[in-house]
Amino acid sequence: MLGHTSDLAYFEMSISPSISFVSVVRRFVASFYECLLSDLDLASRVALVTHELLENAVKYSIDGETTIRMEIATTTTPPTVRIRTRNRADPASTAILRRNIDEMNALADPMAFFQLLMKRGARSGAPGGLGLGRIAAEAEMTVSYTLVGELVEVCAETTAARSP
Amino acid sequence: MKIESLSFREAEFAIETTLTEGRLRLTLAGTADVRAIEPLGRLLPKIYDHSAAGSIDDITVDVLTLEFMNSSCFKAFVTWISVMQDAQDRRYRITFVSNPAMRWQRRSLQALACFAPDMIAVTTGAS
Repeated sequence: MLGHTSDLAYFEMSISPSISFVSVVRRFVASFYECLLSDLDLASRVALVTHELLENAVKYSIDGETTIRMEIATTTTPPTVRIRTRNRADPASTAILRRNIDEMNALADPMAFFQLLMKRGARSGAPGGLGLGRIAAEAEMTVSYTLVGELVEVCAETTAARSP
Repeated sequence: MKIESLSFREAEFAIETTLTEGRLRLTLAGTADVRAIEPLGRLLPKIYDHSAAGSIDDITVDVLTLEFMNSSCFKAFVTWISVMQDAQDRRYRITFVSNPAMRWQRRSLQALACFAPDMIAVTTGAS
């Protein structure tokens, strides 16, 4: 679904259930943002975030359905880019997601948090939210979540300022 | 010389491991997404064993044609590097050859280099 208002351009798609679609969506998003923003670095960051969020959402979706919504809001200068995923998840998965995002946001240094996750992951072998750490540290985006019952929405956000 | 037992190829992802004049070279190509987790998780420990048995300290990881790597595959590298870091009697050196046109590589490989600064170097190659 494509749409726009005077201050918001967006598209939204639902996929079910194949995880192999994730790379297809990432490539599409990368091309779309390269054309739209003329900023290859930002397009690459948005593509990385799209892949990580979407793969997690598909993996933990309990009904096989996942929605992704890409937004560019021009109410701010520079514009704000948002990537949102939405899926239904079980309480255990939701609790882990919530803990990881809360811990990440409580620390001021995304790269330090990412390094901490790498050390933890290397020791434990457990997944441990490395994808979320990557979104904050590598893609330089803020991450938030909204929970309504089984419905989980994760949002990554940045401004479309030109990279140095 | 290609080492078949340390190589893997499918439609979207491939690893080729070669040994040339005592140097091991891993060439990754395609997309390392969820479908690459199993082969990477299986081959990287074998590559470590091969390096340890053959007294090979210098390893090159060529990602010039690696379009993308997801966090699970990234973690497989973190684990592999961590095992090498823990080797008591060896000092391994791993050089990643990156492609500046694949913009994700700069940030991801920088993060890996920060994880093991004494072991990892990142260079750029021709795309």
